[in-house]
Order: sequence, then C-alpha cells, then structure tokens
Amino acid sequence: MQTAYLGVDIGSISTKGIIIDENNKIIADKYIWTEGNPINAVKQIIHDLRQQINEKEFKIASVGTTGSARKLVGAMLGADVVKNEITAHAIGTLSVFPEVRTIFEIGGQDSKIIIIDNGIVVDYAMNTICAAGTGSFLSSQAKRLGLDVTEFGEIALTSQNPSKLAARCTVFAESDMVHKAQIGHKKEDIIAGLCMAVVSNYLNNVGKGKMIKPPIVFQGGVSKNVGVIKAFEQVTNEKIYVDANSHLMGALGVAILSKRAKKDKPFNLNISDINYQTIGYECNKCPNNCEIICFYKDDELIDSWGNRCANGEPTERTLKNA
Amino acid sequence: MVIGLPKAMLYYRYKVLWETFFKELGCEIITSADTNRKILEDGIKYSIDESCLPSKIFMGHVYSLIGKCDYILIPQVVSYGYDNDVCVKFNAFYDIANNTFENINILDYSINVMEGEKEQKGFIKMGKRLGKSYFHSLIAYKKAKKAQALSDQLKSQLQADVLESNQMKLLIVSHPYITYDRLIGYPITEYIKKLGGLPIYADLINKKESLQRSKEISDSLYWIYNKELIGAIKLLEDKIDGIILLTAFPCGPDSLVNELIIRKSKKLPTINIIVDELQGEAGLQTRIESFMDIIQERLNQQERLNQKEINKKRIV
Amino acid sequence: MQKIISFPHIGNYYVPIETLLKLLFKDHTVISAPKITKRTLELGTKYSPDFVCVPFKYNLGNYIEALENGANILIQACGGCRYGYYAEIQEQILKDLGYQFEFIKITWGKFNPFEVYNLCKKIGTSLSFPKFIHYVLLTLKMIKVMDSFESYIRENIGFEMKKNSFETIHKQFLNELKHIHSFRQLNKLYIKYNQKLKKVKINKPNNCLKIGIVGELYSLMEPFCNFFIEKELAENNIQVSRFITVTFLLKKSRIEKKILKSAKKYLKYAIGADGTDSVEKGQMLAEDGYDGIIHIKPFGCTPEVNAMPMLQKISNDYKIPILFFSFDSQTSETGIKTRLEAFYDMILMRKEQERCKQLI
Repeated sequence: MQTAYLGVDIGSISTKGIIIDENNKIIADKYIWTEGNPINAVKQIIHDLRQQINEKEFKIASVGTTGSARKLVGAMLGADVVKNEITAHAIGTLSVFPEVRTIFEIGGQDSKIIIIDNGIVVDYAMNTICAAGTGSFLSSQAKRLGLDVTEFGEIALTSQNPSKLAARCTVFAESDMVHKAQIGHKKEDIIAGLCMAVVSNYLNNVGKGKMIKPPIVFQGGVSKNVGVIKAFEQVTNEKIYVDANSHLMGALGVAILSKRAKKDKPFNLNISDINYQTIGYECNKCPNNCEIICFYKDDELIDSWGNRCANGEPTERTLKNA
Repeated sequence: MVIGLPKAMLYYRYKVLWETFFKELGCEIITSADTNRKILEDGIKYSIDESCLPSKIFMGHVYSLIGKCDYILIPQVVSYGYDNDVCVKFNAFYDIANNTFENINILDYSINVMEGEKEQKGFIKMGKRLGKSYFHSLIAYKKAKKAQALSDQLKSQLQADVLESNQMKLLIVSHPYITYDRLIGYPITEYIKKLGGLPIYADLINKKESLQRSKEISDSLYWIYNKELIGAIKLLEDKIDGIILLTAFPCGPDSLVNELIIRKSKKLPTINIIVDELQGEAGLQTRIESFMDIIQERLNQQERLNQKEINKKRIV
Repeated sequence: MQKIISFPHIGNYYVPIETLLKLLFKDHTVISAPKITKRTLELGTKYSPDFVCVPFKYNLGNYIEALENGANILIQACGGCRYGYYAEIQEQILKDLGYQFEFIKITWGKFNPFEVYNLCKKIGTSLSFPKFIHYVLLTLKMIKVMDSFESYIRENIGFEMKKNSFETIHKQFLNELKHIHSFRQLNKLYIKYNQKLKKVKINKPNNCLKIGIVGELYSLMEPFCNFFIEKELAENNIQVSRFITVTFLLKKSRIEKKILKSAKKYLKYAIGADGTDSVEKGQMLAEDGYDGIIHIKPFGCTPEVNAMPMLQKISNDYKIPILFFSFDSQTSETGIKTRLEAFYDMILMRKEQERCKQLI
C-alpha cells in the first residue's frame, strides 16, 4: 500500500482536485466548475478522484485546501493544511519549475503575480479592485461576440493589427468594444486587442513596480489562452512557460504542503453521503454585529468563523436560537 | 543649457513665467509634446495606480523629457500664504519623480510662503544653480513676472469681451491642467464649440477677485486653486447659462469641493463630469449633448416667457 | 434646550476625548457616537460623495448615528490633507438630510488654545481658561499613557501564554480611564496598569517575526477600518510595531525638520500629512532589521500615494518586503486576509532561509 496526498483548490469559478504520490507525481486530477456551491463541487470532485485511483493501492495520508473557499472546505475535509493561494501556487510551481523567478496567474476572478528568488517568495500582489481582465471578464466578452472562450486564443493569433481597447473596467471595455465593432474593426483584431488589454491591464495593475525576471511561468485558467500568452511574450520580450497542468498548480502546491505537514491520520474519501451545511447569522449581542458563519456536518457544529468578540463564540445552542 | 518643461500640471499656470525667465537667463527651452496616448501610457506605467489622472499624465511628460535636456523643471508648491494651500500632490512631485526615474536631473524651486519660501527666492536659487548672478536672476524674474501678468490680463480681457455674446455660455470649472490637456479637457471644449456652445474658462477670471468671492460658496476652503475656480462661479453667475464641473479621477480636493458646489449652487444647471484614463469618448459626448439640450430648452422657455411679457405690455 | 454633544470615533481615542468633553461641559450631556458597525459605514457611504476617502464616510456614519441618538452638537477636529475640509461638506450633507444641530469645527492647522477656548465657551463651558488648559493637558497625558500601553500590548500580545490576558487588562484600563479627573489619579492608574501589563506572562523568542505598520492615521488607528489587521497579525505570533499615533502627531510639528533630515535619502521636501512619516518610519524599520512592513491607507489617499514610490524604493534598497493595503467601503475582507496570510508565509520562509544560510 502506498501513501498519497490530496490537494483541493476551490476558486470562485472552478474547483481543482489532485492526488499525488510520495514523489509528487500526479496520480489523479480533476477540474470542475464551482457553480457557487463549493460543498457540492468538492463532493463531486472527491467522488471523481476516487474513481481514478485504486483505493486498495493508495491510502490518503493528509489533505490540504487552498483557494477562496479554503477555510470552509478545510473544515469539511478535516484538512491538515489550509493555505492561501499565493503560497500554494508558489510551492506547486516550484515543484515543476525549480528555477522560476516570476509567476503570472490569471484565474476566474483573481489575478496575481508572485516573485521568487532562490526558491522562496519575495514579493507578490493580487488584483484589488475588480475582476476586469480576468477569466470571467474574457468569457463574458467572448459571449458578447458570440464565441466560446476556448476559441478565443486561436482567433487572436490570426490578427495582423490588434485593436486598442480600454480594459481596466468591464463596463468601459464593453462599450469600447461595441464602439470598435461599430466603426468596422475586424473580429480577430478586437479579440487580439482584448488579449493585449488583459495583459497590459495586468502588468499595470498587479505587476506595477514588480521586478519581473525570467524564467516566467504563466498559469491559471487564462493561461490556456494562446492569444494572451502571445501578448505576454510581446510585452515582456521573454519566453512564457505554460505547464500542461498549469491550472492545477494551486492544488498541487497545497498537496505538497500537506505532505510536508503530514499527520498520518487516514482520510476517508467516502463523503458523498454526509450532509454538510452552513448557516450564517448576525450575532446581535453587541453593536459589532459580527457576521458569524457556522459549519455543520450532519447536524454537528464542526467550525465557525467571523466572530470578533469574546462573547459571540457560537455554540450548538446559539445556533438553535438563531 | 537646455531646460525641459513638462506640458502638464503647473505648466498651464506658469508657462509665460517659466519661458521668459529661462530665456532671459540665456537658456534654451524644450517643452514636451501635447499629451498623447504614448505619454499617457508611460505616465500610467510610472505612476502608482491610485494616483490622479493629471499626475499620471505629468509623469508621462517628465519621462518624455529625460535625456533630451540638462534639467527638467519640477516645482514644489505647498502654500501661497495663510489659508491658501494646495493639494498635497504638488508637495511631492519633485520627490516622486526623483524616486521613480533614475538618471533624472531636476531643477526645482519651492513655494511655501508660510515657511518663508517665496517664489522670488526660489527663482533666484534656481538662477544660482544655473550659474547666474543674483541680479541677473532677479531682473529675469521681475521681467518674467510682468510678462505672465500681462498674458493673464490679456486672456481675461478677451474672455470678458465674448461674455456679451448671445451664444449658449457654459462655465468650465476645472483646473487648467485638465481643461487644456489635449487628451482630457480639450476634446470636451471642442465638442461644446461644435454644438454651438461657448466655453467660458473659470481659470481665466481675475484671480484676486475670484479668491474673494469664493467665500460665498465655501468659507473654510483652503485650497487656493479651487478657490480661484469657484469664485468664478459667483462672479459670472448672471452671465452664463450652465456650469460644467470637470474633474479627473480621483482628485482629492475636487471630490469634496464639487460636492459642495452641487449642493449649494442650485441656480444654474450644473453637470459634474469625472474623466478617467479609460473614458470612452462616445459616452461623454452623449452627456454633454443632453446637458446642452436641457439648457437650450430652458433658454427657449425663458424666451417664450419674455415674449409673452412683451406682448402683454403691448396690449396694455 | 439640553445640549447633547457628540463626536466621531477613531480607535480607542474616543475614551480620552469623551472624558475631556465631560470635564469641559459638566452642565451638558456628552455621548460618544455608537461604536462603528457595518451599518455606520453603510450610512456614511450612502450619503458621501463618490470618490471621497473612506474616513469621511466613517465620520459621516458616526454623525448620523449620533444624531439618531439625540445629539445636537457635533464636533469635528481636522486638518492635514483632505481631512481639513471634511467639516464643511459634512455639515452641508447633514443639513440637507434635515437634521437640526450645531456643528463645531476645530481646525488643527490653526490650533490656538485661545480660539479653542472661545469655541468651548460658545458651546457652554463654565471653566476658567487656566482650568480649561489644565484639562486639555490632562487629556494629552491620558493619550500618551494610552498610546504607550497600546504600543506595549501590540508588541507582545502575540506571545501571551494565556489567551486574552492583555485584552482583558486593556479593557479594564479603558474603563477606568473614563473616570480620571486629575493628574494624580492618572499617575496612579499608570503605575497600576504598568505593573499589570508587565506581569502578563509572555513567551517571546528573541528572533520572533517583526512587522512594522506605517500609513495614514485614521485607517491605522481605527481597527474596524483596517479589518483588525493588528489583531490578525498578533494571532500568528508576530510582533507588531507602529509609531504613528496621536502622541506622535502631537509632537510632530516640533520635529518635522528632523524627520525630513533623517529621510533625506528619499525625500527633499515634506510630501503632505502622514506621507513624510511613512517614508521616514519605513526607512527606519528597514534599518532596524524588521522582517516586513505593512503600509495602510484609505483608497486614493493623496499623501500616502505620494509616499509609495519612496517605499517601493526602500523595499528594493533594503530588500525588505512591503505589503500595500488600500481600504474603501467596497474592500473585501477575504482579499485582505489572503494577502496577509501570504505575507507572513513569505517573511517566515525568508527568515528560515536566512537562518539556514547562517548555519552554513
């Protein structure tokens, strides 16, 4: 029987699951949409991962979670490690590209940049204001043009003369795009323009003031878009590396971290019949009115968060009253 | 000796002063180009994201001058006297440029009257740095000062003349570095002209008079550049048909001052236009057009009422 | 009509301020605005101009909630940058909302004891001028004591052996501070709580992680505004240092030239409000071997935006990581937390790497 490690990355748009062996080799992986329901997504992804491995051969020794729903899912799975996505991505990427200096990451609603020196994170930034220039922005613009976002990249490559678009804000970008289409810009030029806008927006926003040094690795959902890759290469004048598993780096990183923090309590993959539930309420015990979220596993309170005061700690009883 | 003048920010206030002064000292002058996409993009690249649009444009202009002159002129302004301060952005341009660009050679002077740093003193110091004598600099400064005053007066007079025109007159209440910038204000005033309106510029009004009248709108305001602008509203109230408050995102002083103007000056139709680096032109034009339509409607109504009044009198 | 006096919140400073006002206006009622909650910010945001900085919104929310509780005299003390102009706009907004009240503006820039005394007389203090000065000085002393305690707590709370020991003492202290009427009482209080604090058992390693916080005053001092960032850091066993406090602000005008001189590598001129201090303190933290710096400001805060290029340069020159935060009414807490977590992961790994290097 071999030991294996599970990593789950639950983003706002997609959920990624991965199982690695002792040598960090991926033995199972899965990518699905979160669809606003992280609990269901995780149940589904674990179910799927189970089918991919031989449970007689592998035993899951530890679990790690990352992504915006890391805490919730961490509580749900009883994870050994709950890590923010910046650290997770850095660790994951370093395991594949030990020499990496710069990581570009553009996901569904987040984008980040991570600067690495000598194998450790020395600087990073995340998008702060809105989702413009991220994956969800690209797919909504694709829809507008009557295309599927997966075709986007290839079409962009055919453009000779990319349009200049203002893409910092979704609203402006949309009106600008419509305007450019009205005055006769070609579709491929607009698409290439969008890719370019995503890149310059990213570099001016998240990448502002960062020492971008090669080798550069690009990941996250948008890294599947060859148009954006090309735009990055044009602007930075550097080769952009994209791993075939670039979308799984967060999950991989947190799986590795869980391996390091190994606590060796066997983990049961059979969770599909357990009923998980979250209940949120405002505390009302003092003017702070903390918004408290309680998390239940088959009616048992397993975790809660959001409380800031001494007297607001939720118990089984507060909940029944709430 | 070549002095570079970035065509942004205080350039629009001190153009004649600067040019005369440096010419009198025997320097050559090079001015950056009108703001264009490239300048804006460079400015964005070399600025902190949250900086205001005019300061980003300023950085673009500074960047475009690097390597083309011996010195780039960047003044530091804090106060013109008691209760006459400026936005703290003007306190910092020198240090921002110095810390952002390597190999930059800045010629600076400071106006901080409350701390005893007067304009004249600053100019003489500059002269000294350029190897000129005290008197040479002093004479050059006096000449430059006179030339600037003359130019301001002339512009003010020219505007006073057109105030009598019966075209629709719209007061542009906006900092000159926004109003006259090729990329921000210029397309807007041009569009107003195209639609048959006449832009009246608040910054051309005699500054002393407008400073005084500004108290009527705001008594605790201490930003002198804003005071000069809002005083013009009071001075011209009866001669104009509408007010356009034109500002750039996210201007600190304007965010408060314009709010107060809108709340207090209800006599005239007023529109608040906030420009940022992504603005599409189409949306702006629609807003200006509809604003002017509303004013035209008001004017027509007024005309009809006046006509009735006259007819009534005739009947009587 | 009975006068009910109120004022906006800023961190724990409402305690000494409330105490002072109660001493000054014995014949009237003084209420501090209700504690800041989400509702405060929502109310403030609803009636504020779009892109005004966020302290304006908090203050306005405080005023509305104080007016709802019956206040009819509101005080605003302000100065520096945009802060100095808040008062007139806030008064206009509240009047337009239909509230009946008197608005008292005390401008920092023109802080003159006689003028302030006259203002207080107008509101209705029965104190003589010397007595008035006496109480003002007492309050300043209170603030000093409070700041020094809070600074000690900040640096040690992450290492307390028993959870909540510091917080309990801190709360008791603030409660007792409300009843201080003389310097003698204050001295006694100081001695008592100084002992209490020093007695709290801590387990602090010599080489613990140290983070310094710089930035704009309001967002530094009002924990609601910065999502309780200091607490969050302490919970991860980090020593938190912050030098920008009201005590610092009060002595700043006297040492401004000195500040500029010690930051001369990055600054020739003062760059407005707390911006200059952020640069100077940033450089100091870097030189003192801190593991990281966090820079906090409201979105669009001009003086602090001014300071950022210099801070970035400090970060490059001294190889010290700096995390920049901007707070607005829209800021998402999850985003802040993620970045904060990544920040201490990062400095922790850096520190470990350095330790390994030294061993070799």
